[in-house]
Amino acid sequence: MSDTATVPAHRRLRQRLVHGLLDSPGATSIILALLVGVVMIAVTGNSPVEAYTAMVQGAFSGSGLRNTIARSLPIITMGVALAIPFRAGIINLGGEGQMVVGGLAGTLVAIELDAPSFLVIPAALVTGALAGAVWAALSAYGQTWLQLPILITSLLLNYPARALTGYLVRFPFADPTVTSSSTVPVPPSGQIPKLPLFGGVSAFILAVLVIVAVVSIVNRRSVPGYETAMSGANSRFSRYGGVDVTGQTVTTMLFSGAIAGMTGTYLVTGETMRFLDGDLVASQFAWTGLLVTLLARHRPWTILAAGVFFAALQSGGLAMQRTTDIPWQLSQVLQAVVIVAIASGFVLRWRRDGGAPVDATGRVETERPTDDAPVGEL
Amino acid sequence: MSADPRAPERPSGNELELRGITKRYPGVVANDRVDLTVRSGEIHAIVGENGAGKTTLMSILYGLIPPDEGEIRLGGEVHRFASPRDAIDAGLGMVHQAFKLFPSLTVAENVVYGDEPRRRGLVDRAKARRDVAAIAAEYGLSVDPARRVEDLPVGVLQRVEIIKALYRDARILILDEPTAVLTPQERDALFVVLERLRERGHTIVFITHKLGEVLALSDRVTVLRDGRAVAELVTAQTDEHEITHHMTGREVALTQRPAERTPGEIRLEVRGLRVEQGDGPPLLDGVDLEVGAGEVLGIAAIAGNGQNELVESLVGLRTPDAGRVVVDGQDITTDTVAARRRAGVAYIPEDRHRVGTAGAASTRDNLLMSYQRESRFQRRRWLDRGAVDEHATRLIDGYRIRVAGLATPVGTLSGGNLQKIVVAREVEHDPGVLIAEQPTRGVDVGAIEFIHERLVEVRDAGAAVLLISAELWELRALSTRIVVLFEGRLVGTFDPRTTDEQTLGLAMTGASQASGAGPGAHR
Repeated sequence: MSDTATVPAHRRLRQRLVHGLLDSPGATSIILALLVGVVMIAVTGNSPVEAYTAMVQGAFSGSGLRNTIARSLPIITMGVALAIPFRAGIINLGGEGQMVVGGLAGTLVAIELDAPSFLVIPAALVTGALAGAVWAALSAYGQTWLQLPILITSLLLNYPARALTGYLVRFPFADPTVTSSSTVPVPPSGQIPKLPLFGGVSAFILAVLVIVAVVSIVNRRSVPGYETAMSGANSRFSRYGGVDVTGQTVTTMLFSGAIAGMTGTYLVTGETMRFLDGDLVASQFAWTGLLVTLLARHRPWTILAAGVFFAALQSGGLAMQRTTDIPWQLSQVLQAVVIVAIASGFVLRWRRDGGAPVDATGRVETERPTDDAPVGEL
Repeated sequence: MSADPRAPERPSGNELELRGITKRYPGVVANDRVDLTVRSGEIHAIVGENGAGKTTLMSILYGLIPPDEGEIRLGGEVHRFASPRDAIDAGLGMVHQAFKLFPSLTVAENVVYGDEPRRRGLVDRAKARRDVAAIAAEYGLSVDPARRVEDLPVGVLQRVEIIKALYRDARILILDEPTAVLTPQERDALFVVLERLRERGHTIVFITHKLGEVLALSDRVTVLRDGRAVAELVTAQTDEHEITHHMTGREVALTQRPAERTPGEIRLEVRGLRVEQGDGPPLLDGVDLEVGAGEVLGIAAIAGNGQNELVESLVGLRTPDAGRVVVDGQDITTDTVAARRRAGVAYIPEDRHRVGTAGAASTRDNLLMSYQRESRFQRRRWLDRGAVDEHATRLIDGYRIRVAGLATPVGTLSGGNLQKIVVAREVEHDPGVLIAEQPTRGVDVGAIEFIHERLVEVRDAGAAVLLISAELWELRALSTRIVVLFEGRLVGTFDPRTTDEQTLGLAMTGASQASGAGPGAHR
């Protein structure tokens, strides 16, 4: 009476989907999103093949490639920024605030510092990094001194960050010659140059590659990298083994905020040249970065790949709108499906693991709580 | 099939049959054509070492995982369980090793959760309490339905789990290692309950690897080894030797005391240790201890009498409110965990899943923990992968840990192998002070023997060993001295060679204390 073969097809599909979301949420989510896209395009009477072709061409040929790469840089750095604490089990939802505060601080240095480019640009990026780190430190110390969950404080601190920078560019640092709330333009000495590569991408791409490579090596080869991974897997185990989890909470948050702040500085001094109130928030890079980190499960090189994928989705969507009848909002729908699929993967895992309480160092416990796991007993 | 005289009101014959159950995982066959026959109204023990496939078999029976092959028959009828809900509806009830209760809810709320009695669309809490009280009274399970679960000791939580199953009309109760977390007194109380359940016609499947319990309680025994059912025995016609032989394929003797050794200079000294607790009585109150080189100091206590606070204060997971902890003359009372480890303290925690390991991390990474900052594992400040791998390989070989490779996540290992990872890592530090908390809880006979040998080696190497165990035979077998902790105070010191379990058990309840102390946490 053993009849695994007669299990209905829809049930097998569901099982496979569930397992896919548990084992490889990124790939499964993307495939699922593309399939949903096929259905949506077909329903509107268009050809999915044509649409996706237009999207791919738009994202990777001609000026499309430059747009895709330019768009991917802040997504990748924000992804890496959030991945650093995430790997230790700490969820930093304050990337946006750290990016905005760092962005303004760095921009002001780029505007005010009267020195040659090779001094101004590093000084601006470092200042942006420091300011982002300070903003992140508020959440980190809130956790370690006052037991305020980082998850909540980092998210809430996005609002004062917006308000503070909004005030600063409206009054003390406003450009009196324009009506919009923004700083004066960054002078040429403070502008990050373009490289003669892919039709002119920012030299910041070098910084992005260095950041990804360094974080990847530190993760895999260093003692703090090892300790971070162990805290993410089971913070009580880490504490028991002598890891300074409090110090780790602060350090990972500082690095996270620093990279976010540096990203903010780049977005102004390398792209828009003016810090315009609400500009960095509207870009949504912090949230796309979070999505990319979840998709890539906080591995730096995978974040790079996923960042390019999302950037291609966005720039390809715009190109598709130009050449077909399909609106670029399809890209947003695809992105949304990926989010929902990843989220359901988390919920599935959470339910399988019987819930995951957050402990006193702001970490989500991810280890299985049950004794002698029934599955795969060796 | 002859009628079972103990269950006159039930249809005679087999209540539960498993036929040819097979479950394969990559690289292993967890269950290999297992047959199991449980008669109506009997207590059927399932024994086997860790990794023999007991838990997998019960998970299949309870609908938690689907079998690859085989069938489940209840009262002769074939059932297929897609989820525990199906199993519950068919009359099965499971008491898991790790209780699945909501700490902040009351006993009654926990019991009725999911099947709440309703009145006008709302949960009828009064009826819930009455129903629970009625079940408790009928089966002699003394529980107050209005108490919050978080306030109750482990033995009572188990009763709540049993009531939960009975509330859902379970005819067949499956208990997974029910005595692993109980004191001897709680264990005896459980056995009385199980016998009463049998009298009322319930069928009980009892998973264990403790042979004393099998012989004391069960009617029949099925022995699993390496995923196969290797023997089905009638308890009255067998003995410990025969069962052990089927379980392990060899002879083992655990209760023999290792050669004695005269303790040397003091290595661990505790003075006036005190841990306060919000508004209640202190959790630890004026505890003084001295453990010498080559000595094993056993600590006997019922769960919740301060042993956890004592251990946490020693290893650095808690700062005591008063008192001192001194290791080799160095005061470590306020040191970090890392500093204490450098001072020579090693620690085998009681909970290997939540504290002792990270299940999702690799075997290599689990064995590296607490060594990663030592210079021998670094090369120009980076981790030296060669040294890390060599360390892990040496421990896996030296401790005969059965694991596929260095990259295998330890969450897939059986309890015994997982515990060996913890023991290997801690013992390898060559510690001056080893704190061993329930070092053999829930592991099989072979692993117990192995772990005991390692503890004795650590002792003989001149370490001070502090052994905290709920198994009195283990304390008696290994300790040089045994002290009893009751409500945070030391209430007596005993010589294990001249003290029997009854005397210790009595001291653990505070009976030897004239004052008797205040309201206890138990019952």
